[in-house]
Amino acid sequence: MYSADIRQPLVTAGKTYSDVTADVCRPIENKPTNSWWLGFSIGVLLLLLLVVTLAWTVWEGIGVWNTNKSVMWGWDITNFVFWVGIGHAGTLISAVLLLFRQKWRMSINRSAEAMTIFAVFCAAIFPLFHMGRVWLGFWPLPLPNALGSLWVNFNSPLLWDVFAISTYLSVSLVFWYLGLIPDIATVRDRATSKARKFWYGFFAMGWNGSAKSWGRYEVVALILAGISTPLVLSVHTIVSMDFATSVIPGWHTTIFPPYFVAGAIFSGFGMVLTLLLIARYVMNYQDYITTQHLEAMTKVILLTGSVVGLAYITEFVIAAYSGYEYEQYAFANRMFGPYAWAYWTMMFCNLMAPQVFWSKWARTTPWFIFIISIVVNIGMWFERFVIIVTSLHRDFLPSSWVMYHATWVEVGIFLGTFGLFFTCFFLFAKFLPVINMSEIKTIIKDKE
Amino acid sequence: MIDKSIILDDKKFTVGIFDDSDKLLHAVDTLKKKGVKIFDCYTPFPVHHLDRALGYERTNITIGAFLCGMLGSLTGFTLAYYMNVVDWPMIIGGKPQDITVFTSFIPVIFELTILFTAFGMVILFFARSRMIHGIKEDLLCRRQTDDHMVIAIDNAESQDLTNSEIQSLLTSEGAIEVDGSRVSFNTSLTDEEELVQQLMTQ
Repeated sequence: MYSADIRQPLVTAGKTYSDVTADVCRPIENKPTNSWWLGFSIGVLLLLLLVVTLAWTVWEGIGVWNTNKSVMWGWDITNFVFWVGIGHAGTLISAVLLLFRQKWRMSINRSAEAMTIFAVFCAAIFPLFHMGRVWLGFWPLPLPNALGSLWVNFNSPLLWDVFAISTYLSVSLVFWYLGLIPDIATVRDRATSKARKFWYGFFAMGWNGSAKSWGRYEVVALILAGISTPLVLSVHTIVSMDFATSVIPGWHTTIFPPYFVAGAIFSGFGMVLTLLLIARYVMNYQDYITTQHLEAMTKVILLTGSVVGLAYITEFVIAAYSGYEYEQYAFANRMFGPYAWAYWTMMFCNLMAPQVFWSKWARTTPWFIFIISIVVNIGMWFERFVIIVTSLHRDFLPSSWVMYHATWVEVGIFLGTFGLFFTCFFLFAKFLPVINMSEIKTIIKDKE
Repeated sequence: MIDKSIILDDKKFTVGIFDDSDKLLHAVDTLKKKGVKIFDCYTPFPVHHLDRALGYERTNITIGAFLCGMLGSLTGFTLAYYMNVVDWPMIIGGKPQDITVFTSFIPVIFELTILFTAFGMVILFFARSRMIHGIKEDLLCRRQTDDHMVIAIDNAESQDLTNSEIQSLLTSEGAIEVDGSRVSFNTSLTDEEELVQQLMTQ
């Protein structure tokens, strides 16, 4: 086993195999703590808000949103892109970092993948309800239908999005579940109650850790990582094409795919840090998610934040240089128009704030990282808001220029998706092993 | 639930239980050198080089995955081409709708390739490893998914060494527990009392 003395151990406090099992299974095998109940209750309350606002939207029609002006995408698609972006870190951590053999991924990949799946659930709500008639949500699927033989349009990036996001969700679920099987088997074999034996036994699919199965399992995991890597890049590329293939000034740029992918990784890591810093504190996982892990993640934030910042500047320079007055106006309007506050919030949060991570102190101080991770989340929401709203609210015809403000329903749906996200996450933290035990056990003797 | 264990049946095993992966690997090497045929090993985590030490070949599931991927590509292309070119060409802005728009089919072809590869490969993996929801798990040690590693030797198999020689070999290799005739049991489908009974009879 390779180890150099200058490297730090990945799991501290000299944990043994059985310590790992005991630590990771503790939340599953014991009654939930008060902090779990608190977090879960807040999640459920916000989830109720989601149910109410969505029900109201369906009952009354999407006229209850303010999106029926020239800003047809408004908060809705802003939130969609925001959540899909967050959904990128999980697969990135487990797939790309696996291919790069970054062992620090092992303590965080499980929860990051869970986060991915829940974020994609949240994201899917927005385009579905934006259709107005959510019960016709199956229309984008290539199904034979009663409208003659009219099929879906394969030239449309919106259709590519349907395929990309549903593939991403299902492949992420498979990847996550495959990784969970050995750990579910561990919980099964420690189970004391009948229900737990049954359910964990059911989902463990008879796993017994045979060397033959492990051999296949590792190959399958590697190939899944290999195919998930282009998949994760393709998803946000296609999301960006929803914009880039249009002719709207401010959207019609070739820089969008790489810029959106970097932004997705950036926001995804921001959310992973926010969640893990809480989980690490609440569940006492400081020995598994060490400051070394936090430092590695902040470095990714620093890198991708700088890429995103560079993209903002490039985009601006190209617009200025293009000689195309509508494009020039779109960018001038972003910087100095009525939504300048949103633009500068975005610039501050995404370009400036992450630069503090050049300092070692900032990279290793949990409370400070937590603050910056929230700032990153806010910044990335504003990025999508700026792209969508500032480009749409003043189009080619000044007579149709409008200002756009969200209604309480739109705000409620957005807050409500946080409820869905946190409810799912707290349930996950209660019922499934949050840390990948079988992977961690291979590295507890290792150094980074 | 499937009330049948298909993996280990009712075989009797000589087992050596270890608590350290290096000792396990060394023991496997030694047994192999002495010509002992090992049925399988059971570990809570993937032990590096264990498959090589046991003489297992690399799985060819990847070939199946590749074929699934090809099927996915073909499905994606057929779907897009049939719907948008053959059956109902949507002429928008007077643009052609024939094979020349192939490039705009690529995203769908790509996504379906990934989808079919992932699902095909995982289904193949489950089938090959005989894993299905609700099947009984065959354990030889209650802690084989926690912190213990098991070497299992099928007693029905003819060996050059006697059973007691194998057992003493396992002990000298650092096994923390050695058992000359163990049958598999499961934890999820039996009552606790039944399990205790089972373990007692072993």
